[in-house]
Amino acid sequence: MKFKKKRAAVKQDIPTASLPDIVFMLLLFFMVATQLREVDVLVQFSLPEAEFIEKIENKRLVSYVWVGRDERIQINDSIVRQEDIRDIMYRKRVELPNVIVSFRVDKNANMGVVTDIQQELRKADARRINYSSLLKR
Amino acid sequence: MVKIKKRKLGEAQIPTSSMADIAFLLLLFFLVSTNIDVDTGIGLVLPEFVPPEEQEFVPLSKDRMAALLINENGDVLLDGNIIAIPQIKDNLKVRITEKIDLPSNRKLVVSVKTDRRTVYNLYLQSLDQVKGAYFEVWEEYAGAKYGKSVRDLTPEELEDVRAKIPIIISIAEPEKV
Repeated sequence: MKFKKKRAAVKQDIPTASLPDIVFMLLLFFMVATQLREVDVLVQFSLPEAEFIEKIENKRLVSYVWVGRDERIQINDSIVRQEDIRDIMYRKRVELPNVIVSFRVDKNANMGVVTDIQQELRKADARRINYSSLLKR
Repeated sequence: MVKIKKRKLGEAQIPTSSMADIAFLLLLFFLVSTNIDVDTGIGLVLPEFVPPEEQEFVPLSKDRMAALLINENGDVLLDGNIIAIPQIKDNLKVRITEKIDLPSNRKLVVSVKTDRRTVYNLYLQSLDQVKGAYFEVWEEYAGAKYGKSVRDLTPEELEDVRAKIPIIISIAEPEKV
């Protein structure tokens, strides 16, 4: 007798019906844990390290000012001039009275730029600042 | 004609076995590209802006003030004496601690002054030392008085610590260029 190879009528599949659920869970996790609003940082910088750093509890209050190695200043998405800082910061103060300005300055930058920015911040009355730094291990 | 039996076609299924691969690839991508942001740093509150005409110079006795100066060569001077950055903390701790029981208008003021060409990193390290001095004095005081770490204090106790050991860091007025 000729034996025909018996094949199952339907392909055996590992039930993958729950995979979309897993994918959505992961998506939700990343939406919550990371900051998706990534501003393209145009300036080159490397943060300094310090020991006695504090964590900013309320992330929503933070506004960043980047100062790169070449002493260019960036706020939000664009390079700004020193004259513009005061207006930009004043507007941020109006929006968020408790704004904390986080300085992301390259560790080899000169203090002259930082001092000037601080003066502008004082004029705009945005006086809560934080010098961004990594934890020294 | 031979009777062709119409085989009942099973429903067309898009093979979903590769969804697991896609999920892992996406996961890897996000793990690598985003960073759970480092939002740490040294906090400070800048002094209010006073236009140059209205600036008054309040003379502070040498005893009340710790003048930290970092010049463009990277020399760090505390009250006129050259000091290595890691020593700043211990030096300041002694001075802060001896003023704990003094009234609030006689507490230590740490003044940090830099030159326009000072390297930012040196400024930050010095500021780090100053803050470190204050935080360690806080811990020692909280441990001695309340037997707890500063983190575990109640709001009233924390206020007491802040009143006894206020962090007064004065950023010097920049010189006219």
